[in-house]
Amino acid sequence: MVEVLSEPGSRGTTGGALLEVDNLHVEFRTRAGVAKAVNGVTYTVDAGETLAVLGESGSGKSVTAQTIMGILDMPPGKITGGEIRFRGSDLLKLPEDQRRKIRGEGISMVFQDALSALNPVFPVGWQIAEMFRMHRGASRSDAKKKAVELMDRVRIPGAKDRVNDFPHQFSGGMRQRIMIAMAIALDPEILIADEPTTALDVTVQAQIMGLLAELQRDSNMGLILITHDLGVVADVADKIAVMYGGRIVENAPVHDLYRNPAHPYSKGLLESIPRVDLKGQELYAIKGTPPNLLDMPTGCAFHPRCPYKRDNCVTDVPPLNTVSGTRGSACHYWREVIDDSAS
Amino acid sequence: MGRYAIRRLLQLIPVLLGTTFLINYMVWQLPGDPFAGRCGQRPCPDAYVNAMRSQFGLDQPVLIQYWHFLTNMLTGNLGVDFNQVPVSTTLGAAWPITIRLALMAVAFEAVIGIGAGVLSGLKRGGFTDNIVTISTLILLSLPVFVTGYLLQWMLGVQLHVVEPTVSPEAPIDELIVPALVLASLNMAFTARLTRTSIVENLRADYVRTAVAKGLTNRRVVGIHLLRNSLIPVLTFLGTEVGSLMSGAIITEGIFNINGIGGILWRAITGQDYTIVVPVTSLLVLVYLVSNLLVDLLYGVLDPRIRYE
Amino acid sequence: MSEPTVTQDLIQHTEQPTEALAGVRSNRPRSLWRDTWDILKRRPIFWISLALLVMFLLMAAFPSLFTHKDPSYAQLAKGMDPPSSEAWFGYDLQGRDVFARTVYGARASIVVGVSATLLTVLLGGVTGVLAAYYSRWLDAIISRVGEMFLGVPYVLGGIIILGTIAPAQTSPNEVMIMAVVVLVLAVLGWPILMRIARSAVIQAKHQDYVQAARALGAGPIRIIFKHLLPNSLAPILVYSTITIGSYIGAEATLSLLGIGLRPPVISWGIAIADHTRYIRTGAHAMLFPALFLSLCVLTFVMLGEAVRDALDPKLR
Repeated sequence: MVEVLSEPGSRGTTGGALLEVDNLHVEFRTRAGVAKAVNGVTYTVDAGETLAVLGESGSGKSVTAQTIMGILDMPPGKITGGEIRFRGSDLLKLPEDQRRKIRGEGISMVFQDALSALNPVFPVGWQIAEMFRMHRGASRSDAKKKAVELMDRVRIPGAKDRVNDFPHQFSGGMRQRIMIAMAIALDPEILIADEPTTALDVTVQAQIMGLLAELQRDSNMGLILITHDLGVVADVADKIAVMYGGRIVENAPVHDLYRNPAHPYSKGLLESIPRVDLKGQELYAIKGTPPNLLDMPTGCAFHPRCPYKRDNCVTDVPPLNTVSGTRGSACHYWREVIDDSAS
Repeated sequence: MGRYAIRRLLQLIPVLLGTTFLINYMVWQLPGDPFAGRCGQRPCPDAYVNAMRSQFGLDQPVLIQYWHFLTNMLTGNLGVDFNQVPVSTTLGAAWPITIRLALMAVAFEAVIGIGAGVLSGLKRGGFTDNIVTISTLILLSLPVFVTGYLLQWMLGVQLHVVEPTVSPEAPIDELIVPALVLASLNMAFTARLTRTSIVENLRADYVRTAVAKGLTNRRVVGIHLLRNSLIPVLTFLGTEVGSLMSGAIITEGIFNINGIGGILWRAITGQDYTIVVPVTSLLVLVYLVSNLLVDLLYGVLDPRIRYE
Repeated sequence: MSEPTVTQDLIQHTEQPTEALAGVRSNRPRSLWRDTWDILKRRPIFWISLALLVMFLLMAAFPSLFTHKDPSYAQLAKGMDPPSSEAWFGYDLQGRDVFARTVYGARASIVVGVSATLLTVLLGGVTGVLAAYYSRWLDAIISRVGEMFLGVPYVLGGIIILGTIAPAQTSPNEVMIMAVVVLVLAVLGWPILMRIARSAVIQAKHQDYVQAARALGAGPIRIIFKHLLPNSLAPILVYSTITIGSYIGAEATLSLLGIGLRPPVISWGIAIADHTRYIRTGAHAMLFPALFLSLCVLTFVMLGEAVRDALDPKLR
């Protein structure tokens, strides 16, 4: 296992994907009860591939990402099952020391709110340079030079003059670029971006998404893009995993899902995007509210909000049915849904 | 920052004037005879009282008296005490001792207080945390003189670890116990403040980022967490330097140390106000200036603070 | 002297108790006091401090419940005798029973601590509300004056005022002595309470319901009593509880210096002051009053902290 780790770029021996999340279960134990945040999530990401994980807040998408990173707050969080294989080896079984070396080098992460995610009392250049100093043992001056290069690469104007500025002296978009520069500093194989554009203006959002896509192409990273906004991912993602109530309810190549969704929830999400050609009609909204993690509905978690609901939806948890090839849908009546969307 | 400092300095002047006036007024003008008890058990002869009153300017209006006080202070003339010894002579020998004691106390506060606070904040609800919480609660409840006499009795009288009183030169080793006593309250408070600050910052996003960067635990805590958490703690320590000076009255009195506090203690119990007024005014000045310095230090420690 | 430190602790922690609570239990709209009580009743530290409080209050009100001895009865022959089965805490310098004197000492300390706190709350509360509610001009003046009083270090201020108002040579009656000490503690302590009340009121003042009351024509008196004061009640309550403790300590400190309470008043501070010189030969005469003094201060500080923690759950 150690040899595998010391050879960046090797893909392990099992022949699986670069990163495989396999049947992951995570709970939060609070005073009010046990919240089942992630209930058997499975997905894979390969080099050069972009996976979009889509879902409302509380759907478990961020918790899954934090578990991959190993930054879940434990307690109250607790991993109750599953594996996360990176280059074939299970991260959850690695000793903390090896786990730590993978963070930043192998897998790294961009957070939603760069203002609070960056340390307020250190200059941004210092924070980027820290990656080189701590992981690669670079000298202060070398590391700083590399920090300036990275700031150039994420297109921060006047990088050389701004390397000693503090996070609060940058605009939101620039701060997010710094966050990205820090995350890609060591050429990680997987980059997780957790709602990277949610806190930004619409025009800046597009720039940041463009930057992420470009960086990914250049360095052949695997990218996990976590978002609640379907509109953001269409141009960038290769495949989509839609999450609801801590489960993946549908996964599909991005165009298949856009063309005809196979789960009522994804269908609802798509229909609630405002469209120019349907101007004048009433906007669709999924009725009801997201499930309470402390008290999940029986059977299919989506059944209280589902227009396709039958009796067995209340009692039986739908498995992830294979729709075709790599497509899956966790709905008993996915055929009906897909037929409806096709028409 | 320069302009801010100047503005703060200007704001300090009315407060300083007000406080020193208050002290002067309270000492000399409130009912009661400042010369009572200067002549043993019997009342002083009128001639003595009148001579003293005119020497210390008590026969003049309040504002004129205060004006004399101010001009004297500004020219460095601290006057003479009731025994006609210049106050500056008495103080000259005492300052170094008190400063030594205060510095040692600050060092104890910082090292022990911050250490205990960090340990208890990092493992919240753990054994260390409970010990620290309970012992700081007890320290906060013990008046300084109780701590002082208790340690003097235990270490000095019962166990003979240290001399119960400090010799006139007040070498560093003899000042350890008095400095601990002087520091005790602030030490407990520093520990609590550090703990709160650590607990708050532990949940901060930037700590999570530091972990996600693959830094060692030691670096996440020692650099990223501490650098942020200690801002309010250092500010507190700075602010309290001024109040340490007045805490020194009790401590130096108990351990018979010849510092500023000891002089004040003896002046108070001997009711020599000619010493009390200028020394107190100086202490107030130290207090106000240290507060100002702390304000400016805050801006250095936290880059987000910008002075208009 | 414990004053400034404990105070800062409070100002930092009690600023927004209401807000913090609202975030935690938004699903069950319940009153702040109800929530606080629910948390408090589960905390042993609260019950311990409450039990101690009851004990000290009983001791202050009915000292004869605890001892049948006369605290003023002196048997010079027994001066400084160590603790024995006959006198649990031994005898003091003049041969008086230390246990009896310690029990009877509770009254002066608690009366001084409580009344000084009440006066402080009154002075600080009124000035704080005035500063926050009325013009910026008044606010500036009150705040500056407060700074001037805070600029006089606590013990120094006490020493100066008490040393001149009531020098040791004069001997007024018991009530007078205590009243002067109460006055001094309150005069030096009000600015901190003023700041707490001021910040609580300023915070409440800008809230919509107060603005609405004002728009509906409610007068200043009504707004202050109906809307602003209830809001500052929680932080003031917590602060006052702890202040009682620190005033008891401060009173003892002043008595130790010979300028606080004096005989014929019986108090812990005096007992300690009378025997500091005999620490080498008979520490018991000083240690037992010091123990009760510290325990009493601890009781109030502990109670105040328990309430504060219950009001502000984010600290747990």
